[in-house]
Amino acid sequence: MKKQKQPQRKLKEQEQQQKRQIQQQNKPQKAQQEKRQKRDWKAYIYNSPYLILITLTSLAVMFVSDEIGIRAMARDAQMLVCKSYARIPGEQGMVETDSSRLILDESAGVTETLAESVSVNSISREEENRQEVSEAETENAGIRKDENDDLQNDGGLHDGYDSPENGAESAEVHPGVTNFEFYEPVPIESRYYKDAGKVALTTDYSYTKENISYFDDAAFLGDSRTLGISDYAGLEGADFYCDSGMMIFKILEEEVTYQKTGSKVRMDEVLQKKQYGKIYIMLGMNELGYGNTEMYLEQYRQVLKQIRTWQPEAVIYIMANLHVSREKNNMETEFNNININAKNAASASLANGTDVFYLDVNPVFTDEEGYLRSELTFDGVHLYAKHYDAWREFLLEHAVEPAAGIRDAAARNE
Amino acid sequence: MLFSSVEFLFRFLPVFMILYLIVPAKYRNIVLLVGSLVFYGVGEPYFVLLFIFSIVVNFCLSRYMFWEPAAPVQNRIQKRRKRRKRALILSLIFDFSMLFVFKYWDFAAGSINRVAGQELVPLLALALPLGISFYTFQMVSYQVDCYRGTIPKPVGIVSFAAYVSMFPQLIAGPIVRFDEVADRMKSRRIRIRNLENGLKLFTLGLGFKVLLANQIGTLWNTIMSAGAGELHPAVAWLGAAAYSFQIYFDFWGYSVMAMGLGKMLGFRIPQNFDSPYASRSVSEFWRRWHITLGRWFREYVYFPLGGSRKGRMRTIGNLFIVWALTGLWHGADWNFVLWGLLFFVILTIEKNSYGRRLEQTRVLGRLYTLAIIPITWVVFAITDIRQLGAYLGNLFGIQQTGVMVGIPQLLRYLQEYGPLLAVCALFATPFPIRWYHKWKDRWFVVVILAGVFWLSVHEIMVGSNNPFLYFRF
Repeated sequence: MKKQKQPQRKLKEQEQQQKRQIQQQNKPQKAQQEKRQKRDWKAYIYNSPYLILITLTSLAVMFVSDEIGIRAMARDAQMLVCKSYARIPGEQGMVETDSSRLILDESAGVTETLAESVSVNSISREEENRQEVSEAETENAGIRKDENDDLQNDGGLHDGYDSPENGAESAEVHPGVTNFEFYEPVPIESRYYKDAGKVALTTDYSYTKENISYFDDAAFLGDSRTLGISDYAGLEGADFYCDSGMMIFKILEEEVTYQKTGSKVRMDEVLQKKQYGKIYIMLGMNELGYGNTEMYLEQYRQVLKQIRTWQPEAVIYIMANLHVSREKNNMETEFNNININAKNAASASLANGTDVFYLDVNPVFTDEEGYLRSELTFDGVHLYAKHYDAWREFLLEHAVEPAAGIRDAAARNE
Repeated sequence: MLFSSVEFLFRFLPVFMILYLIVPAKYRNIVLLVGSLVFYGVGEPYFVLLFIFSIVVNFCLSRYMFWEPAAPVQNRIQKRRKRRKRALILSLIFDFSMLFVFKYWDFAAGSINRVAGQELVPLLALALPLGISFYTFQMVSYQVDCYRGTIPKPVGIVSFAAYVSMFPQLIAGPIVRFDEVADRMKSRRIRIRNLENGLKLFTLGLGFKVLLANQIGTLWNTIMSAGAGELHPAVAWLGAAAYSFQIYFDFWGYSVMAMGLGKMLGFRIPQNFDSPYASRSVSEFWRRWHITLGRWFREYVYFPLGGSRKGRMRTIGNLFIVWALTGLWHGADWNFVLWGLLFFVILTIEKNSYGRRLEQTRVLGRLYTLAIIPITWVVFAITDIRQLGAYLGNLFGIQQTGVMVGIPQLLRYLQEYGPLLAVCALFATPFPIRWYHKWKDRWFVVVILAGVFWLSVHEIMVGSNNPFLYFRF
């Protein structure tokens, strides 16, 4: 018996060895010939550490993570069901026509007065909105309250601004008014934004035209598009604090690159140290898919409040976020001009026309439907270097004469 | 569905793999087919119907090629030959007209209208079905192989459909020939080692795509956003290098992912890239870049035309046809034709003069290749001919209105992207892959790959959660 068994065992060993060799060489023909062996679980585990590692960590993540796990799947399924319901009345077409109308209204309306645009819009407007507009026509408030949105303007910001000097200023000069154009909002299924149903226009004010030295005591805060102004608009005197991916949520809390030296600085330190005559802010693109418009507005309000306490004399310009091109405009994602308009309208509601102004540069670069003209851009988001000259001219034409107090502050700085 | 998406990694792949592993071996092709159609259909709900239609038509025609009438007939051999030819021609007409209508119609119509100066041919404005260039070529290769007798016996509809639609290579290749998967299509065993190594390969490809290609792509985008025409030569070359890396790691990453997935499923998908940027001549570059496409054009266009055996002028003519078509295959626009013809010129010159000698040098040949290839990629990347001219001018120091993007921006780009560029350069050499094959079973490679996997997932998450943070405006 024993003698018989031993050669068998040897044979088996040989077979195994052969099999191992085959596995290493991975030859398909031989693999078919070999016998099926009893599964050796230990060898399996030993042979596939990576597979096991990834499987186990994936399982763990699926249970833990909100984004890719079971909860996300449930959410996706829910979204899918909701979508299929909403799609039935042919909503797709509606989105398109409405968005083009919205954009049409906006750019056409730059030169229009509010009253005119109301007459255009009121035809298709519902009763409740009409009431709102008539409210808007009484042009006595710098900030217009808007019930249509959930944005609560409690006036807290106002109080913060009402320092005595500013009050005196605004008594002499007529305060500017930030107007909105209204339209029928489009239903949007996104947790990031809603169609605001209105487009903000540049604060109506008797701007003066200044020359390039106007920017000598100016600071620019922004994202990659402000970086473009820094690089190509030729504003040598101004201080640029901007980075690609910068957000209103980060600007005072995280380090930002000071473009003159390329060093990282913290805005809260800089703004407490150095007094500026003008502060230009353009942030909002990187917020399109972050939080929601209400959060954006609230954070913007906080940032302005904070800057105002550090920079009591500065004129603050809220710059509208530049629209994107037709090719880039995507209703399927959050990346579209309706979302940008919603963010812009939210930030514009913070402009008071005395020391905070809203500047909408979009008419300079967009077509009649409000899309960024495709010949001005490669990626549909950023302007070519040579077109930033037009942006500079726009800013120079929309300058608020620096108040006496602000001039003093600038002098003190030097 | 893209490989580098949460839907694929955490929904489709696990569910599919479990199903694939638990069903009996004889149903695996069906699971593969259905899974592939789901994979395709999720992103392209309408085009999947077109795809299925295309598969059915091709299958019928290939079956017709093998069909023999039961009753004895005169001139059997001749009739068979005629039938085969007819079936082949029909299938070629069908496949290429599908491709033409969906991919080239607007391009051709636009060009005709421009020449005529009026609207002679209407534009269709059809969306391009995903992967149509790849699956058309694969079907054509199958038909031609049937005609030639490389595929001796007709295969079943499931095998054929599974071969064409196999999701690892459906969207971005490699272009697999049927004989490469024929054996495995009949029967294959799932091996734990293949699952393990396949997943490792997949992770490697995922890393190339997500951690290298996507990241370096933003540099190219940044430079192009500033605008061709006003770039300092150094910036222009940096941009060209960035794009060269982006397209390489994007495409190579996808091919490696396909190889890995194929391995997990029990197939062997051929290699598509073999360190092309380490080539010593442009001819060698094309022997190492997108190998399966070069092979396709060689076997199904160049050789049937007579290859290089019919005299010098015919050879040059054949090369011209092959490269014009290669250019067109990559995209329906004039810059792609220009790109293909650029290679025709370079390769013809190399073939007839210094090519051989250059390939014997170690340094000179590589420098030569590295100088030429980025220029060709610029031609590939910029569709607008005027802009393309401006960028090519920038590469050689010709600016339109003076330098706007100069040394300060260059320094900032280098500061931001320097380390990434270094990693890309390292992975463009053959060494990392050699190291990988040497040490792929060691524990530290397992740990590194797991890191790569989760880092990639993190990047994908950040991107999908906030698509704009990912682009970082």
